[in-house]
Amino acid sequence: MSARQRAWQVASALFVVLALAAVAESLRYGFLDRLGPGPGFFPFCVSVVMGALGVTLLVGSSRMKAAAADGESVVPAGDEARRVVRVAAGLVVTVVLLGPVGFRLSTLVFLVYLPWSIGARNLWAIAVIALAGSFGVFHVFHYWLHVPLPVGVFGL
Amino acid sequence: MEALQYWLEGLRVATTPTNLLFAFVGSLLGTIIGVLPGIGPAAGTAILIPLTFQMEPIPAIIMLSAIYYGAMYGGTITSVLVNVPGEATSVITCLDGYQMARQGRAGAALGISAIGSFIGGTAATAALMVVALPLASLALKFGPPEVFALLVVGLSLATGLAGRSMLAALIMTSFGLLLALVGMDPVRGAPRFSFGITELYDGVGFIPVAMGLYGIGEILVSVERPFQEVIKTRLSSLLPDRQEWRRSAGAIGRGTVLGFVLGLIPGIGAVIPTFVAYVLEKRVSKHPERFGTGVIEGVAAPETANNSYATGAMVPLLALGIPGSPTLAVLMGAFTINGITPGPMLFRDRPDLVWGVIASFYIGNLFLVILNLPLVGLWAKLLEVRYQYLYAGVLLFCIVGAYSARQSTFDVVVMLVFGLLGYVFRKLDWPLAPAVLALILGPMLEKTLRMSLEMSGGELSILVTRPVSAALLILAALILTGTGLRSLPFRKVA
Repeated sequence: MSARQRAWQVASALFVVLALAAVAESLRYGFLDRLGPGPGFFPFCVSVVMGALGVTLLVGSSRMKAAAADGESVVPAGDEARRVVRVAAGLVVTVVLLGPVGFRLSTLVFLVYLPWSIGARNLWAIAVIALAGSFGVFHVFHYWLHVPLPVGVFGL
Repeated sequence: MEALQYWLEGLRVATTPTNLLFAFVGSLLGTIIGVLPGIGPAAGTAILIPLTFQMEPIPAIIMLSAIYYGAMYGGTITSVLVNVPGEATSVITCLDGYQMARQGRAGAALGISAIGSFIGGTAATAALMVVALPLASLALKFGPPEVFALLVVGLSLATGLAGRSMLAALIMTSFGLLLALVGMDPVRGAPRFSFGITELYDGVGFIPVAMGLYGIGEILVSVERPFQEVIKTRLSSLLPDRQEWRRSAGAIGRGTVLGFVLGLIPGIGAVIPTFVAYVLEKRVSKHPERFGTGVIEGVAAPETANNSYATGAMVPLLALGIPGSPTLAVLMGAFTINGITPGPMLFRDRPDLVWGVIASFYIGNLFLVILNLPLVGLWAKLLEVRYQYLYAGVLLFCIVGAYSARQSTFDVVVMLVFGLLGYVFRKLDWPLAPAVLALILGPMLEKTLRMSLEMSGGELSILVTRPVSAALLILAALILTGTGLRSLPFRKVA
């Protein structure tokens, strides 16, 4: 069994679990009421269909033909994986910090970290982009476009 | 005649200094999005929505529409110069466009592409004026069962034509529908799938989801690949020679008609018209064997078709409220954020907006041909921006866009979650378009189904006893069966 087949099976199984949970939840909302279909009617139908499709794909993935099973690797490795993890980790940290420390500080750190982590080494360019992207963008959105962005505990 | 009167009024709206300015800004931004590989038009349009929050609806929609069709122009530049499509609709242009560049004819390839795009976009706008109003009037006569069936056809097309496996596409559709159900029940007002999280009472925000799936997902896949150096190509004359003009004329004509007609079919997506136009050109050519070696028809036809499609696809969006592609779904989200609901009522209630936007397409296309012909060298320079900085900028705008739609850090978390999911789905090769379209069409689908059932006292037969809805549902079944048979048992569809 190829890596892609296994990946499809795992994804299908997760969708089956999601569908089962959604079926259980939708039954709580009421299937029918005196006016006709209730709030749970459509979610129930969609969840049942999703579950049935998930089971079919789960079973069918093992019979997937070679042409469909081939292709580029599903899980990256080596440098590829490191670059993806660095970007994703940078995003997660920035999103976590966005509320507490505010837009300007969190994105300043992010815009220094991200280009550096994926290979940029021009410190001047990084500094200009980080300042323009954090303090500059905040200024444009907050003061010119009147779109408020988060301000954290330091007032930044 | 009626359409002409409306159009003249629309032209008056579109030519106010403010609207001209925003048509220009949209064309400029659209070209930049099209030029830069790694940012598709869906993500590009989504991340620029916050710019419109403080704008009046008409200039906002004019600008966002110009970004949408402007991206179709810009995508060609990278296809021709570096053999890397700026967006998916320019993939087929790489075949002959890049070969022309290698033969020293990059200028002619880019020139014919811009001219074909202009002709396709302008002619399609004229056709849109003729088709949209009668279609909107017809749609006003539709009851809930017919609208439900029409939505099912749109989703069936988006599902049937997407991806490697029909089953995976159907799962993505049901996933999108399930996401659409999060929040208050539209009929009874009861919260669903919100698990006590107050931010979810308003539903899952479409913009954070689209930004995550398309913006962040695309960047995560792009950073996996080693960064490419840009190949420097000299641009000679931008005008094709006389023989190339002659060979391109038919290709542009056929591309225009084909792109517009395919644009009318919701769910077909922007890529298929370009491939069909290329194949058609190859079929009618006396020398099909030369395709792929740098023939100008191989550039003119798909580039014309994708711009004609972009305008044609506005017909179902404006007249029926059905977006035909993920980018149009994002555009529909932008309409909603600006307090506008696309659909037949819009023609009746806001003719100034609809016809102003339609008239702006002519102006936008004119701006685009001006931006793309003399300034092509400048756009080529843009390719020298290092990807590390570009990706940082795109991710930053994703954060700004997701937050500013509702001033909610929760939406930024939603965007991040869907960004990671978007990456996983791309790696699995499961299509995103069905999920995005289902997310935006889901509430209307549920509402029309429940209204239909309330009309019939709970009898599902109402959907098949009314001739129009029955015919549409049969069409949807045929689409799914036809494409499903090709994909089962789990073989490659596209």
